[in-house]
Amino acid sequence: MTSRMRRLRWINWPGLLTMGLLAGAWEAAVRWSLLDYQYLPAPAAIAQGARTLLTSGELIPNVLHTLLVTLIGWSLASAIGIALGLLLGLSPTAYRYSMTSFEVTKAIPPITFVPATLLIFGFSLRMELVIVVYVGVWPVLINTIGGVRGVPVELLDVARMLRMSRYHRVRKLIVPAAIPEIIVGLRLTLSLCLVLAVVAEMVGNPAGLGHALVLAQQALQPEKMFAYVLSAGVLGITLNAVFRSAAAWMLPSPTSGRGGGSP
Amino acid sequence: MTAATAADPDRAHQPGGSDQAKSTKRTTSAPRLRGLLPLVVLLSVWELVGSPGSPFFPPPSTWGSALIGLWENGALLAAVLATLTTFCIGLGTATVVGAVLGLVVGGSPGADRAMSPTFEFARAMPPAAMVPIATLLLGYDETMKVTVVTLAAIWAILLNTRAGVRRIDQTLLDAARSLQLGTVERIRKVIVPALLPAVFLGVRVAAPIAVVITLLVEILTHVEGVGALIAQSQRTFQPARVYALILVAGALSLLVNGVLGMVESHVFRYLPGKADGSE
Repeated sequence: MTSRMRRLRWINWPGLLTMGLLAGAWEAAVRWSLLDYQYLPAPAAIAQGARTLLTSGELIPNVLHTLLVTLIGWSLASAIGIALGLLLGLSPTAYRYSMTSFEVTKAIPPITFVPATLLIFGFSLRMELVIVVYVGVWPVLINTIGGVRGVPVELLDVARMLRMSRYHRVRKLIVPAAIPEIIVGLRLTLSLCLVLAVVAEMVGNPAGLGHALVLAQQALQPEKMFAYVLSAGVLGITLNAVFRSAAAWMLPSPTSGRGGGSP
Repeated sequence: MTAATAADPDRAHQPGGSDQAKSTKRTTSAPRLRGLLPLVVLLSVWELVGSPGSPFFPPPSTWGSALIGLWENGALLAAVLATLTTFCIGLGTATVVGAVLGLVVGGSPGADRAMSPTFEFARAMPPAAMVPIATLLLGYDETMKVTVVTLAAIWAILLNTRAGVRRIDQTLLDAARSLQLGTVERIRKVIVPALLPAVFLGVRVAAPIAVVITLLVEILTHVEGVGALIAQSQRTFQPARVYALILVAGALSLLVNGVLGMVESHVFRYLPGKADGSE
């Protein structure tokens, strides 16, 4: 009873009202042709388009394809990023003899590699995965290095005082201390992987949401396009929310930083 | 080379030197040449193994001649200028609109609460997916490019401005009131100078996004620019050109970051209270 009332108060009514009003104004502007765009659908038409996509079974397989590629790419990128990040973060020699190379490569906007991968792998799933993994590695890599190298000196002193072996030092102190930052990298990478999967589908691999979007554009079906863009957005929001709650569940208050002592 | 390697151990032995290096999160140390080793090895192997006629991996030496060819027929300069134009107009528009919106939602909690779901919703839409919609509504032209870039770049500026407004020192506002400054004067003399660092931080975050999205729009729509030239070289199977232009894109993004870094160190050096993270 009280929790329901609290939830009612927690809902952002003015915010929802603004959204509703904006949608209404959009609808009215299109109905009465105040907006002079040939291919601008009204919100009602977009909702209709979304319903058509759902009932005809076009939407779900496309969403699943994009979701699957995003998750596979994200897992691979995370594994590579964390492994490489630990190597570079833990070994000063590896860091010294390769960090500049990584910085130079990172300066190149990864999006420009899309045509190159298309050239090498052709229109294929492999192309999509390669570009998703390549782009996804960076935030994990950078954050893992940052987290490992940012371990407070006091912790390392403690390790020295306790005469911990190198293995124990890494496993019990350095990696746990770096986890909050690694988690941030994983979250950034998840959104990036989704976006890049859509891009790769738009230009390369003919499957998934990105390809469906381009097909709808070529067929001049703006209400379907808006529905696909909304699906991509909702997919992104959902993935982010799932990741956040999973991280919060596995790791109490990961955002509170490494300073907070765990109970 | 020997001097550099000899100097390094000394630096490491300075009291506190190594500790400090460990505790700073992202080391922005001077670029070390030996760190380039893997890249140099990779490119050398590529040069030795790759054959000039390869459809996938032409050796780096062919990239140079591809670039010279593009320079001589004028395509490279035109593309770079087109990309920079879109980038500048897009980022400029995003800065103005983002700062104004950030000022509004930062100054009024009511407006913030009313607008935040709409903003969150709009921000979640991937800019790449907006491109087909923008082309259908606006056509394949500069307006479409600028619109997409602006939509992608606006959020960092909006959020930083909002955070900046909330952080404004109350004493400053009190001082303005006791000096009986008018609204215009108050905005011009107190609020704008107090907010500039926050807005600029937003621009620093937004600029790399704007570069990437400019290139992305060009790759997707083939409207003139470096991205379009890369996509065209790919479709006409000219791999050397693709690799050369990827390096050009890298140089462009370094240029943008360098210019912003210079602006930061020259204009904002004296300003206290640099804003931190995006929110």
